[in-house]
Amino acid sequence: MANNLLNQLQSQIEIVIKGKSNAIKMALLTLLSKGHLLIEDIPGVGKTTLAYTIAKSINCSFQRIQFTSDLLPTDIIGVNIYNPETREFEFRRGPIFSNIVLADEINRTNPKTQSALLEAMNERRISVERKTYLLPEPFMVIATQNPVEYHGTFPLPESQLDRFMMHIKIGYPEREYEKQVLLQPSPIEIADTIKPIITSNDIIKMQKEIENIEVEESLLDYIMSIIAETRKDDRIRLGVSPRGGQFLLRVSKSAAYFEGRHYVLPGDIRELAPLVFGHRIILKTKSYISDAEKVIEDILHKIPLPL
Amino acid sequence: MLRTYNILTAIIALTGSVSLFISGEINPVFLFSLVVMIYGYFRVVKNMPQAPKWTINLLSITTLIIFLLDAFIASDDYLVSVANLTILFQAIKSFDLREPWDNLQVFFMSLLQLIITSEFTNSILFGGIFIVFLSSSVSAIILAHFIKIGLKEKIVLTKPMVLITLITFALTTILFISIPRIAGGIWGKGHKKGIKTAGFSERVNFGSFGTVKLDPTIVMRIELSGKERKDFYWRGMTLDYFNGIMWENTESGRRLIYKREGFFTIKPFKKENTLIQKIYLEPIDTEIIFGIPLIVAIETNSRIISMDETNTIYVPMKKNKQLFYTVYSVDEPIYSGFIEKKYLQLPESMDRIKELASNIVKGKNKTLDKAMAIEKHLKEKYSYTLNVPEPSRGMNPIDDFLFRTKKGYCEHYATAMVLMLRSIGIPSRIVTGFYGGEINSYGGYLIVRQSNAHSWVEAVIGNEWRKFDPTPAVSVEKPSIIMLYLDMMKMQWNRYVVSFSSSDQKNIFNLLTFPFRIPDMPDFRLKKIKDILSFVLIALIISTIALLIHKSSKKKHYTYPTIQYIKAIGILKKKGIKITDKMTSTDIRRFIKKDGLKEKVEELITMYEEHRFGKKTLTHEEKKRYKMLLKQIKAI
Repeated sequence: MANNLLNQLQSQIEIVIKGKSNAIKMALLTLLSKGHLLIEDIPGVGKTTLAYTIAKSINCSFQRIQFTSDLLPTDIIGVNIYNPETREFEFRRGPIFSNIVLADEINRTNPKTQSALLEAMNERRISVERKTYLLPEPFMVIATQNPVEYHGTFPLPESQLDRFMMHIKIGYPEREYEKQVLLQPSPIEIADTIKPIITSNDIIKMQKEIENIEVEESLLDYIMSIIAETRKDDRIRLGVSPRGGQFLLRVSKSAAYFEGRHYVLPGDIRELAPLVFGHRIILKTKSYISDAEKVIEDILHKIPLPL
Repeated sequence: MLRTYNILTAIIALTGSVSLFISGEINPVFLFSLVVMIYGYFRVVKNMPQAPKWTINLLSITTLIIFLLDAFIASDDYLVSVANLTILFQAIKSFDLREPWDNLQVFFMSLLQLIITSEFTNSILFGGIFIVFLSSSVSAIILAHFIKIGLKEKIVLTKPMVLITLITFALTTILFISIPRIAGGIWGKGHKKGIKTAGFSERVNFGSFGTVKLDPTIVMRIELSGKERKDFYWRGMTLDYFNGIMWENTESGRRLIYKREGFFTIKPFKKENTLIQKIYLEPIDTEIIFGIPLIVAIETNSRIISMDETNTIYVPMKKNKQLFYTVYSVDEPIYSGFIEKKYLQLPESMDRIKELASNIVKGKNKTLDKAMAIEKHLKEKYSYTLNVPEPSRGMNPIDDFLFRTKKGYCEHYATAMVLMLRSIGIPSRIVTGFYGGEINSYGGYLIVRQSNAHSWVEAVIGNEWRKFDPTPAVSVEKPSIIMLYLDMMKMQWNRYVVSFSSSDQKNIFNLLTFPFRIPDMPDFRLKKIKDILSFVLIALIISTIALLIHKSSKKKHYTYPTIQYIKAIGILKKKGIKITDKMTSTDIRRFIKKDGLKEKVEELITMYEEHRFGKKTLTHEEKKRYKMLLKQIKAI
C-alpha cells in the first residue's frame, strides 16, 4: 500500500524532526507532485535536517548549496574543465546534479545565479555548450529564505517565486519538543542512523500513479473560482497565474494519494490553496508571504464549497 | 445592477401613471407628463446626463404653485389635483435621478398614485397593475440595499427576489383577508363619475323620440338562491303623476327601517320561503334599491335604509361607490291599503283614450278582467320598436302611439296602460326598474344591464297592487361566451376583492374552524364556503408550484448523496455542534470528536465523498445505509 509506505516515511522523518509533521507532509507532497519547495523561515529550525532526512529516507543523493553573494552559476550547475590527458573539455557536474538539493538562503546570491538555479528547476536539464545533461529523477529543490534579514539580499522576483510549487514555514518547535531536542545529539547524526524506507524508483512510480487520481468537475470549477477571485480582489495587485492553478491541482492529487484515496476532495484544495497561492500573489501593500496567505484564506472563506 | 435598478424605477413610475389612466381621469396634463416621463426614463436607462439642478428646482416650485392654485381655486376635486401634482413630479423626477434617495421618492409617488387610483376605480386591471408595482418595488428595494452597501461583483438576485415578492404577496393577501373591514374608501367620498343613466332613470320622459340606443353597460350582477321565481322584475320605484309628457313621483314620505341582527327587516319572514338575491350594484345615480318584490329584508353595510308608501326602498348611497346588498323576497303581492286619489290622476283631453279603454273592457265586470283585457290588447295589437318616429304636429305623444304609429317601447306601453286604467277608474301607477338579465353560466349569476331597464304597471285589484306588463316580448341578442367569461372574472374581482366584507372574514374563519364543529350550516353558506375553499385552494396550488419550481431549480444539481450529506450537517447543527458552511467534509470529519457519533459521521462522510467525488455508483443498499446512518446520527 502506497499510503502505508508514505505514512511510515513521514513517521521516520518525524523521529528526526520532532513536532513538525505538517511541514514534513508538505515537503513530501511537493516531492510527489514533482515540485519544488520554498521554506521561508529563520535559521536553526531544521530546514537542512528536513531536506537531508528526506533524501536519506528515500535513498537519494543530497546536496546543500549555501548561497552567497559571490556564488557563480557554474558553482551550481558545473563547469567544463580541460582534461590534458584526453585533450578534451570534460563537464564536471555541479551540486545541482542531485535528487534533493537544498538551496540555502537563496536570496543572498545575485540574480544571475538565482536564475541559473531556477531555470534548472523548471527544465530539469542543464545545457552547457550545446550539450544537454538531464538532471536525476526524482528531483526537488528545497530553497530557503530568511524573512527577517533583508540586508544585502536579492529578493526573488515573482516570476521566479512562481516556479516553487509550495511555500511553507517550519517555525519554532513546541516547548516540549524543543526540550527533547536540547538533550539529543545533533539531528544530522540521528539522520545518519536512519535506513531508507523506499527507493527513488518507488517515488517515480508513485509520481506516475498520482497522475491518475480522479478530479471531479466541480472541483476544477472550485479552483477556477479561487483563481478568478485572486485576480479580482481589491487588495491584490497581481493574481494567481495559470501555473498556480496547475500546481494546486497536482498537489491536491498528491494529498489524496497520500491519504490512500483515488479522488480529490474539496478539503484537499481548501487546505493547500494558501500554501500554493500565498507566494504567487502580490499585494498592493508591501508585505510578507504570510500576509498574502491571510488574503488567500479570506478569499477561500468567501467562495462556496462544492457540495 | 444599477441599470436594472433604473429599469425597475421606470416600471414603478409607469405603474403609478398607468393606474391613473385606467381610472379614466385622463386630462392633457397626464398625457403630457407621461410622454415627458417616458423620455426621461429613456435617458436614464441610456445613462445620459441628468438635468441641471436649478431647472429641476425651478420646475418643482412652479409645479407646486400650479398645484396650489389648482387645488384651492380651480379644481372641485382635490384628489384629481393631487394626482396631477404627482404625475407632474414624476415627470420632473425622471430627469433628476442622482442618488438612491431620488428613486425612493419615485416609489413613494407611485404608491400615492395607486392609492388615489384605488379611490377612482373598481377595475380588475388595477389588480394587475398593483401586482406589477408590488413585485417591482420589492425587487427595487432589495437592489437598493445592495447598491447602498456597495457590492460591486455580480450576484444572482433573481431567486431571492421572486421568493420575497411571493412572500410579500402572500402577506398582503393575508392582511387583506384579516384586517377589519371599513365601509367606504379612504376618503369616504366617491369620485368616479357615475354611469350615465340612459337606461334607468327616476323620471320617465315620455316626450322623447328618435332611436333609443340600448346601453349594454352592466348595472347589477346578482347571485340567486333560495325559492325559485319564473321571471325577474327588479322593482325600483313607482311614478304616479303624469303631466302629458313626463311621469313624476310625488310620494315623499319615508320611514326608517331599523337594523336588527344585521338585517333591515321590513316584514317578519321565514328564510326558507325567501328568494335570496345578492346584488352587486354598479354606481348608477340613484339611491334606490332594486329587488324582486315583495322585499321583506335587506342585509347591507349601510347604516340607514328607508322606505316610502309605495314600497320603494332607499339607501343613502355613497355616490359613486359600488353597493353590495342582499335582498330577501317572498312571493306576495303588495298590500295597497288606503288608495289615494293621485293614482287616478289624468292629464287633460284623455277622451279618446277613455273611449278606447271602455271599448276594450266592454262586457267585463271584474276589475282584474278589465286590467287583463287592456294588457292583452296592448300586447297583441301593438308592436315593439326602439325607433320611435316624431309625433305628428298637434297630436300628443300618447295619442300618437295609441292611434297612429302603434309602435313604441316599454314606456309607451306602460303609460298607455296606466292612462287607460285610470280613465276607467282603476287606480294604477308606473313601476320602473329592470327586467330579466342574462345568466352567466360560468359564474352562475345574473347580469343586468342598462338595456334591461324596463317600465311596467301596477294596478289596484281588490286590496292589492298587482303587476301588469303590457310590453310585448322582444328577442334579445345573446352575448358571446368570451364576454360572459370576462364578465365572470370581473364579478369575482368585485365579489372577492372590491366588496370583500366582514361577513366574508367570518366565513373564512368558519371555514378554518369547520373541522372542529358540527356541520349544521344552511345550504347557501356551504356553497359560499365551497367558493372560498376553491379560491384558497387555487392560491395554494399556485404558490406550491412556484415554491416547487424555486426549490427544484436549486436542488436539481444535488445528487442523492449530497442531499444526505446536507441533511446530516443539518442534524449535527441542530445538535448544537458548531459546524459552519465554510467547513469542508475533511474539516467536519476532524471536528466531530464524540465517540459513537464520530464513527457514524465518518462513515456517512466517506460514503458521500466516494459517491460524490470518487464517481462510485450508488447502490440500493447504500441508499438504505445512508438513511440508517442519518437515523442513527439523529438518535445519538
